[in-house]
Amino acid sequence: MSNFKDHSKELIEQNLKTLGGTPYVYHCHHFNLFHDQTVEDALGQAEAFTVRSRAAQKMATQLIGNLIQSSGASNPVERLQLAKALFAWMGQGGLDLLVDGSGGKVRGDALHYSFAWREKYGSKVKRSAPIDAFAAGFAAAATELAFDLPSGSLAASESACYACREPFCDLDVATASGDAPALDAVSVDEDVIMKHVVQPGTGLEESRIAQITQGLNEFLLGVDGDQRGLVQGFGIFITRHLSGYYDQTAYDTIHMIEKTAPQATAAVEELFGESGHVCVFNTFGNLLLSPEWEGMVGPVKGEVEEIVTSCAAIARALGFGHWTVEELKPGERLVMRSTSNYEFPFYLENYGRSDKSRCYFFANASRAFMQLAHRVDWPSKPELTQDLYQELFKGDVGWQTEETLCRCKGDDCCEVVVTKK
Amino acid sequence: MNSDFLKQAVEDVPSIKAVFITAMPDCLLFGSWLRADSSWSEDQVATYFGDLFRANREGLKALGSWSSEMQVTIESPDNLVILHELSSDFVCACVFERSAALGMVRLHTQRLLERIRGSLPTFEAEERPRGVRVLEFLNRYAPDPHAVLLRVSLRTKLPMELISSPEQLSPSQVSQVEETACGILGLPSLNI
Repeated sequence: MSNFKDHSKELIEQNLKTLGGTPYVYHCHHFNLFHDQTVEDALGQAEAFTVRSRAAQKMATQLIGNLIQSSGASNPVERLQLAKALFAWMGQGGLDLLVDGSGGKVRGDALHYSFAWREKYGSKVKRSAPIDAFAAGFAAAATELAFDLPSGSLAASESACYACREPFCDLDVATASGDAPALDAVSVDEDVIMKHVVQPGTGLEESRIAQITQGLNEFLLGVDGDQRGLVQGFGIFITRHLSGYYDQTAYDTIHMIEKTAPQATAAVEELFGESGHVCVFNTFGNLLLSPEWEGMVGPVKGEVEEIVTSCAAIARALGFGHWTVEELKPGERLVMRSTSNYEFPFYLENYGRSDKSRCYFFANASRAFMQLAHRVDWPSKPELTQDLYQELFKGDVGWQTEETLCRCKGDDCCEVVVTKK
Repeated sequence: MNSDFLKQAVEDVPSIKAVFITAMPDCLLFGSWLRADSSWSEDQVATYFGDLFRANREGLKALGSWSSEMQVTIESPDNLVILHELSSDFVCACVFERSAALGMVRLHTQRLLERIRGSLPTFEAEERPRGVRVLEFLNRYAPDPHAVLLRVSLRTKLPMELISSPEQLSPSQVSQVEETACGILGLPSLNI
């Protein structure tokens, strides 16, 4: 099986995507690295690797398991081949699974996290801890499923990592130790999503947003990886990634900080929110400046309404949910709503109702919309460099964002209000 | 330093584009002169050249060949830069057009440095709190400067209010912050 497109499903009205029944989204390497770096900052590199790899293992078990079932792959060789092809289709890189029923070795070549880390940070800082926790968890899940082993019975570690200047990545899959975290998160599937989302609403420029979303959906589904298993375009490495991985790693980390070091809660929440800025600047921004966008929508004029509604369309196409623009006063205020996104269904299903808003990505991505709409000279087609990012997002961004309504608190929808400071 | 003085000091120096005087050990801009068409950030340049000079000094000391008379010459595609230690408290960077002959540049630099040296104040340098210097260093070199203070807060579990006022950090908190800075930069120690 190599044509995974046929197993990708759009929950059209909710603008969410599933692959083999497992929710997925598109995120770039800037976001992925920043997200995982925050988990590392909070937990320390060793514990973070365990938390991330076990979250990856849990979510990958659902994905690979469903695809094995639907494809009829019946023996270990077929199942491992399927896992390898799937990993590459997701833009996660190349995996060579040399495993049997007791585990084994996995060679990673051009793995998304370590490859992108070295591209982005390698010339600036030296890394000594391995980074490919997602690949490790994925490999452990693939091995368990290939040999019909109980879920969570294996665990994987990384003994050599490209980010640490090794030529390849080496992963070791072995029996999980007694203290390995259980894979007890509840998987989110279409039924769970539909249980928590509400009837989609409409906002400003609905027909424009819907039309662009449809075009982008078709374009994104056709994007294929290269021989390395990486998807490179618009100056970024993009992945089709399991949203449950982001959700579990972020929420478990935030809860741990809330419990053990409440004085650092503001920092961890702000950093997970910051990844929303990182994503919008790099992925949304580069998409808006791409020839593909120009061909599909036309050149970007740089009007505030145009940028914000375009961003809402991009969010929907990337599988972030049904985001609507409720109110927009250029220079003053933006109100965004979502009746579905990839954050709250996971939260409600796994942790129950919260006493505060929990859609960190939605809240901060909305703020980044306003910053991009007001501060970037789009007609001049600027290069979206990290220097420009610092100029726009370092220090006081100039916009305040607040998630005033959240499904996690029991509200009817999620609502973010962005106001000029 | 009075900018009129530097303006006068460079008057007869051909091909010169800028002069930056950095106060050590904090690598802060003490004085500068730039040609009118320049858009360089004086503070930034002075700070990075201060760091560069300090690293160079430590490197040469490790080789056992350091002398206060040494200078650093950088030949970049657009500029010719000469860094020279004026005293233990000051480093001077002179930036020339790339087309200028190196021999002439050295000669003029020597004269210019003598003029500047004579007008520098003598004082007992007072070091700012180490916590302040650690965070400034981190801000200059961390890979994601927009988020670095939040990262320090999260890694140390010290509240942001405290990280934002590093002069108030206790000695043990400074050590924690310094260890975190090393971790973020992937360095065994900070050269500050």
